[in-house]
Amino acid sequence: MPGGDFHPWFFVIVAAWVLVCGLGVVAFKKIMYSAVSMVFCFLGVAFAYALLDASLVAIIQILVYVGAISIVVIFAIMLTELQDGRYDQFFNRQSIFAAPLAVAAAAVLTVVVVSSDISGVTDKALNPGLRVLSDLLFNRYVFPFELVSLVLVAALIGAIVLARKEEERS
Amino acid sequence: MNALQWWLTLSILLFCIGAYGVLARRNVIVVVMSLEVMLNAVNIALVAIANFRGGAPGAGTLFALFIITIAAAEVTVGLAIVIANYRNKRTVQTDQFNELKG
Amino acid sequence: MEGTQYMKIAVALLVLLPLAGFIITLLFGKRFFRTKAHLLPVALVTVTAVLSIYAFEWVVRHPDEAFVWNAFSWVAAGRLTGEWGFLVDSLTGIMLLVVGIIGMLVHYYSIGYMKDDPGYYRFFAYLNLFMFAMFVLILANNYLLLFLGWEGVGLCSYLLISFWFRKKSASQAGKKAFLVNRVGDFGFTLGMFLIFVTTGTLQFTGVFDKAEMIGSGTLLWICLLLFTGAVGKSAQFPLHVWLPDAMEGPTPVSALIHAATMVNAGVYMVARSYPLFIHAHTAMLIVMIIGTFTAIYSAYIAITQNDIKRVIAYSTVSSLGFMFLALGAGAWVAGIFYLFAHGFFKGLLFLCSGSVIHAMGGEQDMRQMGGLRQKIPLTFWTMLIGAIALIGVFPLAGFWAKDEILGGAFVGGDYVVWAVGIITAFLTAVFAFRLIFMTFFGECRASEEVRHHIHESAKVMTIPLVLLAIPSALLGILVGWPPETGWIHRFLEPVFFDLEHEKFAWLGVGGGLMVFSLAVALLGVYVAYVMYIRRTELPARLAARLPVAYEASFNKMYMDQVYEVVPIRSTIAFAGWLWTFFDVKVIDGAVNGLARLWELAGERLRPLQTGRVQNYALSIFAGMVVLVVVLAWFWGS
Repeated sequence: MPGGDFHPWFFVIVAAWVLVCGLGVVAFKKIMYSAVSMVFCFLGVAFAYALLDASLVAIIQILVYVGAISIVVIFAIMLTELQDGRYDQFFNRQSIFAAPLAVAAAAVLTVVVVSSDISGVTDKALNPGLRVLSDLLFNRYVFPFELVSLVLVAALIGAIVLARKEEERS
Repeated sequence: MNALQWWLTLSILLFCIGAYGVLARRNVIVVVMSLEVMLNAVNIALVAIANFRGGAPGAGTLFALFIITIAAAEVTVGLAIVIANYRNKRTVQTDQFNELKG
Repeated sequence: MEGTQYMKIAVALLVLLPLAGFIITLLFGKRFFRTKAHLLPVALVTVTAVLSIYAFEWVVRHPDEAFVWNAFSWVAAGRLTGEWGFLVDSLTGIMLLVVGIIGMLVHYYSIGYMKDDPGYYRFFAYLNLFMFAMFVLILANNYLLLFLGWEGVGLCSYLLISFWFRKKSASQAGKKAFLVNRVGDFGFTLGMFLIFVTTGTLQFTGVFDKAEMIGSGTLLWICLLLFTGAVGKSAQFPLHVWLPDAMEGPTPVSALIHAATMVNAGVYMVARSYPLFIHAHTAMLIVMIIGTFTAIYSAYIAITQNDIKRVIAYSTVSSLGFMFLALGAGAWVAGIFYLFAHGFFKGLLFLCSGSVIHAMGGEQDMRQMGGLRQKIPLTFWTMLIGAIALIGVFPLAGFWAKDEILGGAFVGGDYVVWAVGIITAFLTAVFAFRLIFMTFFGECRASEEVRHHIHESAKVMTIPLVLLAIPSALLGILVGWPPETGWIHRFLEPVFFDLEHEKFAWLGVGGGLMVFSLAVALLGVYVAYVMYIRRTELPARLAARLPVAYEASFNKMYMDQVYEVVPIRSTIAFAGWLWTFFDVKVIDGAVNGLARLWELAGERLRPLQTGRVQNYALSIFAGMVVLVVVLAWFWGS
């Protein structure tokens, strides 16, 4: 395995962790369980990035996903919890169709990937290090970088406008 | 089956799990969470391919980075909408949001 | 050909001057000319009369040639070229005399007759248009141009019959004339197509040169189809119904168009196409039979009609029948001779009747007339001359012509035709003099105030009467004597150089036939005299004794009713059926059905729009999976 210091078993653990937590997000009936599952899933994904020699991404993942997005989600859950918190159904009527569809999709794609001739180019890991990345980010990809900040500002303002309470008119 | 294929398989499985969640759950917040799971799956695929096959230097990694950022923005706005909606309709059930019917 | 430059100018002017007259008068007549609107058309028509005489003179001076001039090509489509080409030979010469002179006289007459009519300018414009079309017709050297004139005169007939268009009966009569004519025109057109297809040309010389090469079946069809056109235009049975109704038009129109010129177009066309007919004996037979039948049929109707113009109208139909009889029997020269004379005396009769009507303040019913002899003597004497000419009394024109025809039939072995012709002559004498006696003799049956207004017409009307009476009286002697070898016979002989004379049987079975027919005519006069002067109760008693015979004659042999029932009602019923079934059910059904289809489709498809995003997401995802499968399938291999 490239970046070959790590034992393949690491991959299995990380993969199992991520998948189980993903299932947790989808399957739990209580929302909070789902949310917590999601957090752990993000952590697992961060580990996966680490395994893939993408340290910057791993850190950013933890900072942004685990640190910020999860909080937002939990806030949203708390704000929309109904009083008696009991629902009659957790899965909608089309879930019967969605399940086989998802399985089929997974099967098809897996078959495609497995039967294709794709493999590593060299034996070494090719994810660049921090220095190279920062260099690229502020030189070659500075335009998307700035655009993304613009998007963030817009999202910020938008979220505030959307979510604030209506003012009382006297 | 080489390493890259394993990673891609992981990505695919996670993606489909997330897809099932998006399509089948009734609570809209769970749907948003499943959406995030899907995005993460895609990111894994991106980073894996960048790691094993290279391509433009850093393109894969930076792309994944941008996706994370945009995902954050999207979650924010999306949940703001959910909250605003909740204020009016007092529900977070997806079946109740059918004003555009017919 | 020497001296043809002047002929070209003459011919061109003959055609163009009336056309110019029409356009100018129509455009400016209402505003600028008004009551003087007759000036230009009449002047032009006088010039054309002079030109007609000039052209006739030219033909006389060049006895063995014909003037042919292909002026220019108008339309060229594939093998067919529509040419403005002109031909002037002896036949044309005769027609030019009739059309030119009578046309001019009618124009002058109209100045008086149509005075104070609000449509004064329109009348003269149309008259000029008619002259244009008629000249084109008789000067043409190919069937296409002839047809142009043919249709043109049909149009003018319609315009002039329904001249007083606000009167319902007039506008309907115009329509009837046009439609019945159209039926004939349809046959004519088919005939022309057939000619073109078999000979490749429509020029007279070209067609006639190839006449012998056309198969007899085809030739028969060609002749019959052409004859159909003649039947329509010249009001023969069964397409005669429009002519009596055409009397709704002003009297000058009746005189010009329906007596002297337009109705002769059919006869002219058949005469011109004689090289074709000569080789199709069955066609000639049919022409003769129809002509004969029409002659006696309309004479029979004429004896009970009370409208003075109707009597003369049916007389015209009968006379035309005579002409076709002649052509069918092979007496070509006699037929044309009759046409020549007929133009003058029939035109005279119509114009005289117009004068009578004018005097009577618009009354046309003879039962209201009587005793006009002393009050309008000039009209009386000219009309008497016309009547005598009509019935064929020696030595007036009608006698010579009619006698040649009947004699030709007899000698040719067509005894039945001869007998029918004699009976028709008898009936003609009866109705002609019935008219004279009822109108001019006896007591005046008109009301007091009408009687006060009876006066002789203005000079502008009476002079043409006199000018027409002269040839009616003298034409026979001048040009038709002696029979078979008179000037006119020698004049018309050269028209068809190569024609065999087998059918031109020698007439003159002594004075026998002539004397016999003269006696018959005089007998008819006597019968009319008895019935309408001596014992005036006789007609009514006779009518009561033979009600069926009387009713049949009076009701025009129910022809209009037949037309109403057979073609008209069934067509209307068919149209009605098409509407209720086809249009409503089939077409509306299809259109509405299509609309309903979309409506239904929309309704069935609507539930797809649930408004729930998750449902849409499912569809998208499913589609994506399918796409991936398909792509993988085609790329993987």
